[in-house]
Amino acid sequence: MLGLRTLIRSAITSVPDVIHQQTRNTFILKRRNPIPLHKKGGRPSKMRGRHFVYDLVEDTNVRRQPDIKVILSQFVDGVGNKGDILNLRPIQAYRDYLMPGLAVYASPENLEKYKADDDKPKTEDTYSSPYVHRTIGCLSRTVLQITMNKFEPWVLEPWHITASFRKSGFVVPEYAIEMPPTQIKGPDLSLQDKEFYITVTINKKEKVNVRCRIYHWASGVDRLPWEESHWKKPKEPLFPEQAAELEKIPLPQ
Amino acid sequence: MASRLQATARQLSKTFKKKSRFDIGIASELPVAYKKFWREWKVLKPAAVHYIPQEGKWKRDDLTGEILPIQNIPIPLKYPAEINEGLWGGEAVVKGFQKRDAQRRRVPHYWVPVLKRTVVKSEILNTHLSVTVTDRTINLINDHYGFDHYLLKTPACDLVSMLALKLKKQILIELMNGCPRYAYDPQKQKEVYEEYKTYLSSYTPEEIEWYGLTWYEALCKLAKLKEAANRPVPLKNMYRKNLVEKLKAAGIESAKTSPDEISNTTSWLSKMNPFGKKDEA
Repeated sequence: MLGLRTLIRSAITSVPDVIHQQTRNTFILKRRNPIPLHKKGGRPSKMRGRHFVYDLVEDTNVRRQPDIKVILSQFVDGVGNKGDILNLRPIQAYRDYLMPGLAVYASPENLEKYKADDDKPKTEDTYSSPYVHRTIGCLSRTVLQITMNKFEPWVLEPWHITASFRKSGFVVPEYAIEMPPTQIKGPDLSLQDKEFYITVTINKKEKVNVRCRIYHWASGVDRLPWEESHWKKPKEPLFPEQAAELEKIPLPQ
Repeated sequence: MASRLQATARQLSKTFKKKSRFDIGIASELPVAYKKFWREWKVLKPAAVHYIPQEGKWKRDDLTGEILPIQNIPIPLKYPAEINEGLWGGEAVVKGFQKRDAQRRRVPHYWVPVLKRTVVKSEILNTHLSVTVTDRTINLINDHYGFDHYLLKTPACDLVSMLALKLKKQILIELMNGCPRYAYDPQKQKEVYEEYKTYLSSYTPEEIEWYGLTWYEALCKLAKLKEAANRPVPLKNMYRKNLVEKLKAAGIESAKTSPDEISNTTSWLSKMNPFGKKDEA
């Protein structure tokens, strides 16, 4: 079986220096009393009880294993795009990426295969960032309350939207906001119980519709009464052409 | 006289060859393909797992400067029955003693591998398997870039368990048939076949057929093959044929029809119709 062993060794050495250091993930033992030497080509002498006394050299199960590299074979939300190389703990890589088929081993063939993909123009299923899905989810769940004056005349402009976003915890530049088709002017209390949507472009790539409602603000006795959980209640669309889109955006429960 | 006897004995011992298991009984008819697998499984020495073998052929004694040969005698391992139901990656149970204190008697101890149940994914079989493994198995799979590569690259003596050998056989059969499990996606089928086809070069179809069989299974297979090869033919068929030929030779009219037709038409049972009406039957 010499031929087979050499064949296997040659097959292994053709794969770059991975298995040069053999893995021994177990108890590595050493005889305390060495066995006496035997004749060349002869049988080893009979083993006595003392030859079975072992010292533990190392228990490799408790040794920290090095990270392994994997290549994502598809877009993974919050992790990366197809072809990205990840450096992960072996257990995590095996359990969370390799077994579900989200990633492949970073073998030379796979590196070659996914590198070729990298040079090609980005296809549509690549996203601008791994966190895009999360951002889209957050924005589409938001009911943006735009606070406007009840007495001073105003025209709704992108900077109003930016300010309202900032109040609810989002930093949205003005160029990323696409206003509704018709200009909205106020104060107009008929706008109070209506809703419309604006379109926000994330990283100049992904578009998401955000539900907006106008609130007329005033202080003192002119203040409008507080409505309990108003963000959960459905409202009428301000523009009839937006009604279908607004139906699609889920309301917070 | 005594010295002559001794010389004869010495001479005989040189020429006498002990019978191996392949020389006795039906086993002598086992094909070369199975002998190859047997050598790979039982004769080839497994890789050192539980000890660190010393490198080189010779070493010099530090104290005396004496040159001594290096003889790596492997640590004897115990193979429990459960090893065949998991993939232990060459690990096994070590039975021995611990000397915990210089002043105390040695204590018996078993070093048992830490076993875990996890999932392995076989690309050729296009399936996931839940198996008992050790950390070493997972590391070997990772080092070989996949479960199929690990099984196909590792010789049988290092796989040890019957489960691994059976899986390897199954994988080789699938590969030989061109991955029929990917028939729904011809492109993927081609990709998988291209990736693994290099392994097929080291086996012939007959070797794959005889791969991964235990001694008993191989003997049963051989016996079945032999039985199928020389199945007894009923004598009545032969006699009937002979008779018909004789009758033909004699030129009797009723024997002009072929012997098969005669056997078909003569049965009175064929005239019976068990599902017909009473008066018809």
